[in-house]
Formats: sequence, C-alpha cells, structure tokens
Amino acid sequence: MIEVRNLTKRYGPHVAVDDVSFQVNKGEVVGFLGPNGAGKSTTMNILTGYLSATAGDVYVDGTNILEEPEAVKRRMGYLPESPPIYGEMTVREYLQFVCRIKKVPRNEVKDRIEQGLHRVGIAEVFNRLVGNLSKGYRQRVGLAQALMGNPDILILDEPTAGLDPKQIIEIRDLIRSLGADYTVILSSHILPEVSEICPRVMIINDGQIVADGDPTTLAGELFDASQVVITAVADEPTTRSAVSGLNGISRIEVLPASESGTTEMLIESEKNHDLRREIFEAFSRKSVPLIGLRVKNATLEEIFLELTSGVRGADVTEADA
Amino acid sequence: MIAIMIREFRTYFQTPVGYVFMGLFLLVAGFFFTFGNLLNNSSYFTSFLGNILFLYLFAVPLLTMRLLSEERRQRTDQLLLTSPITVVDIVLGKFLAAMLVFLVTLLVTALYAVVVGVFGDLAVWQTVGGYIGFILLGSSFISLGVLVSAVSENQVSAAFFTFFALLFIWFLNLVRTVAPVDPTSSTIFAAAIVLGLAGFFYANTRSWIASAVVVLLGAATIVALHLVHPRIFDGLIPDVLGWFSLLDRYDGFTLGLLKLQEVVFYLSFTSIFLFVTVRMVEKRRWA
Repeated sequence: MIEVRNLTKRYGPHVAVDDVSFQVNKGEVVGFLGPNGAGKSTTMNILTGYLSATAGDVYVDGTNILEEPEAVKRRMGYLPESPPIYGEMTVREYLQFVCRIKKVPRNEVKDRIEQGLHRVGIAEVFNRLVGNLSKGYRQRVGLAQALMGNPDILILDEPTAGLDPKQIIEIRDLIRSLGADYTVILSSHILPEVSEICPRVMIINDGQIVADGDPTTLAGELFDASQVVITAVADEPTTRSAVSGLNGISRIEVLPASESGTTEMLIESEKNHDLRREIFEAFSRKSVPLIGLRVKNATLEEIFLELTSGVRGADVTEADA
Repeated sequence: MIAIMIREFRTYFQTPVGYVFMGLFLLVAGFFFTFGNLLNNSSYFTSFLGNILFLYLFAVPLLTMRLLSEERRQRTDQLLLTSPITVVDIVLGKFLAAMLVFLVTLLVTALYAVVVGVFGDLAVWQTVGGYIGFILLGSSFISLGVLVSAVSENQVSAAFFTFFALLFIWFLNLVRTVAPVDPTSSTIFAAAIVLGLAGFFYANTRSWIASAVVVLLGAATIVALHLVHPRIFDGLIPDVLGWFSLLDRYDGFTLGLLKLQEVVFYLSFTSIFLFVTVRMVEKRRWA
C-alpha cells in the first residue's frame, strides 16, 4: 500500500534520512523505533507531504505523492509530534475547520465529528477551548483531527510523548483499536510501547533502517547468549573457582553486587557458545547456591540500545540480512 | 481557501489583534476627521483619506504579523500542508482574511463620508475614487506584510520587519528626489543591479557558472547600451525607485482620477508579493 523507495533527506551536509526503502501493506500496524534524532519524524513528514525528500519517492497504491499530492493527502491522517491545534478555538470549531480543509462533504461533517468524538473519547470537552485542555486531551483532539478526513492510512508521530502513565495506556489502547480499521505507522523512542502495539517494528538509527521484523523474531534473531550474568551466594574467590573449570570462557568480570553476601559476575564466552547449562552444573557440583543466571541483552530493550548506540551495528546488519 | 479565510477572520476577533487594529485605526481616523473636517467645516473628504495614510505604518504590521509566522511557530502548518489543499489556498485565504478585517474597518469610516454628505457637499465620485485607491494601496501593503510573515520565525519579528519595510517605502519618495542622476552613479547602480541578480542566481542554483554568465551578460548589456547611447542610464536611480513608490501613485486617486495604469500597478504589486509568498512557503519544504 505504501512504498518508499531510496528516500534520502539532507539538511545541508547533515543526512537525516539515508537511502531508506520499505513497504507497508494494507492493514499493517508498523512501529518506527529509534532514539531522538534518528530520522523518524523526518521520514513521517516526507510520507505525509509536509517536507520534500532530497531524493527518492513515496508511493501510495502506486500514486506518487509529488505528482498527485491532493489525492494522496486525502488518504492520510497525520498526527505530528506536537498536535497541530489552535488554542483559541473550541474542539467543535477546530474539528469543523479540519473537516473543511480535509474536503469532507458538508452533509457528512456532523456524522464524521460525532464518530471521531466517540472514537477518541473527547465528547465531554467538545465545547471547551483547545488551548485550555490537558496534554492528554490535546493529543486526543490531534488524533480526532487525523481521523476527520476518513483516511485509510494513519501516521502518528510519538503519539504518547509527554503523557502520564494512565494516559499512555489509554492512547495505546486507542491506537490498538484503530489498528483494526486503518493502516497505521507510528513512531516512538520507547520500546515496550512499540513492541506492545505493533506486530511489525522497524528500528531506525542515523537515518537508516537497522532492523525490520516482528518484535519476537527480532529478539530471537538478535539473541546472543555469549554474555551471561550470574549471582552466587558466595565470596568472590569461591565463585571464581566454581567457574574456572569451564571451557570456552573468554573473559570474567566481577560486577558490583546488588545484595550483600553475594557475588555478581559477567561471564563472556566465545561467540554463540551458550554456557548457561554448564555454569549451572558447575555451581551445583560445588554446592554453591546460584540465585541468578541471566543472559545479558536478552531483552529487546538492550538489543535496541546496542543497535542504536552502534556498538554491534555491523553484526546486526548481517543477522538482519 | 474559504475555510482558511473564515478561520483566520474569526481568529482576529478571538484574539485581541482584531480589536486593537480596529480600535487604533478608528480612533486615529476619528481624530483626523473631527479636527480636519468637522471642526474645520471642510467637506473635502479625500484630504481625510490622505491624512490617515500613515496609519498603514502601524496598522498593517498588526494585521499581518500573525498570519503565517504563527502557524509555523505553533506547528499548525503541519496540518495545513498535509491536508488536500494547496499553498495558494492557504496564502490567499490568509490575505483575504486580513483584507476583510481592513475593509470592515474602512466601512465604518464611510459613515464619516455620509456625515459630510448630509451636512455639506460631498464630492461623491472623488470620494469613491479615494476609497478605491485607499483599498488598493492597503492590499499592496497587506501582501507585503503577508510575505514578511511567511519568512519570519515569530510574530514580533514579522511586525518589526513589516514596519521597517513600510517605512522604507515611505521614505522612498524622499530618497528619490535627492538620488544622483549623473551618468557615473547611474552606471554603477546598473552594475549593482546586475550583481544583485547574479547573487540571486547563485543563491538559487548554487552554480558559479550560471552566476558568471549573468554577470557577463549584464556587463555586456551595460557596455553595449552605453556605446549606443552614452546618456541612456541618466536618472536610472530615481526611475527604479519610482517603480516601488506606492504612495506617489495614490496622489491621482485623491484628485478623483482613476487611472487604469495605477490600478494595474497596485494589483500587480499585490499579486507578485502573494506569488512570492507561495514560493517561499513551498521552498521551505525543500530546505
């Protein structure tokens, strides 16, 4: 449905989006994940026609956004990073204005607003000034705005940024429900959010897509058991001697213990050599209580951090390919 | 376009700007009418319009400062530019909203003309001509304000720069009368225009070759013209300044003369400034 080909955006010498290509199919819910400044917002601004790309093309069902901007814009609803609201208007006036510039036929405006109000849950603030609403409500009004034109694609840039935990859960649920009816692209720098809402995640860093897939597969693909953190109820020399007999250990590092009377240790093995079972057996042989054993980088969070801080960037591209 | 215009027009009166504009304009206009016409027993109404021309200096920046700068600052331009409307719709809608506020305000001053008509002899057609000129001049100034607003980061700087641009137009007449007319300075001025043009080319194309071609062509033209007719550039500076002199052209209207060429000038000035505004807004997307 959406096809992006070799998209590049430069601001002077700075490359914000670097030769990005991807496709999004009808009905998909895709999350752009990346740290601030990775190029998520720029990509979204180009997709919606707010910015023009330095090179590359965006097609929606084969229609180029530059050639037929109005046709493509009619099919998209966009919630930018800060909701584009006019503080001096009431929610009613604002949504009526949005309907007019989205070219909603006059006789449908009332129904459209009615549906939008209930969908995003802002009926109770309908007659209040947008400028006096809380951040959560503003975000919802922004979301209602994106729905007004009856689009089939929703592009949501950091829809939960700056909200409190309760509002975040509400907006997430809302987006999940929207996912049933729309093709959704959303961005976030918060990983749990994306992995929770989106069946497909694209990790973006330095203007490039460094990983693309469903969150579980990504975690599986990038899983690497070569670094194990153990916690044992023993002093350091005992712990050392317990693991000393194992083969394939390349490095041992003592970590600051989080509980008194225990020793925490990072054990690094040769690549793709999973030591966990052997460690467990070694400790049980010596009757040293092992109360913690976990693989470092087991969570998607840690994988994401490594990917985007560039430590293991090269490996990932291989794994991804 | 209509939707943008209506929203903008309402915003004038949902914020203090519209009231401040109308209040200021009508206060000063009323003052001039009272002292110029009522207390002087003068029925010469076009002199009233001539007297309040300077109001544009303060009123236009007030009217246009918010128009596009505020959209960008509030990031509502993201809504407008990603909606199925064109930049022309946006710019025209904004311009028309400002014109509408201006016209409504001006309509109130028409009451003064009625007062003159009832209690004295009102030169009706002269007054109508005066108003047409006044409105055309206003549309030129407002289009200038719209452009400044499009390139400003916030409304304060938009108001500030609009004010100075208008002030410059005001002083243009003075500059014109003292500008040198001798061949040397005129030729230097012509050369400066060529260099400016080349700079514009370079800024837009980033190509040294294109700019060099402009410089060479310009220099060749100046030299050729100079050879053909040595005094051809005489008076070039006042002439060029004259093209931008909006106020000079207004004089005819106060006499009740409605010259087609002046009307066309004002309308062209407005269209060109609005067109450049559209280009500036579009250019920003490529930046």
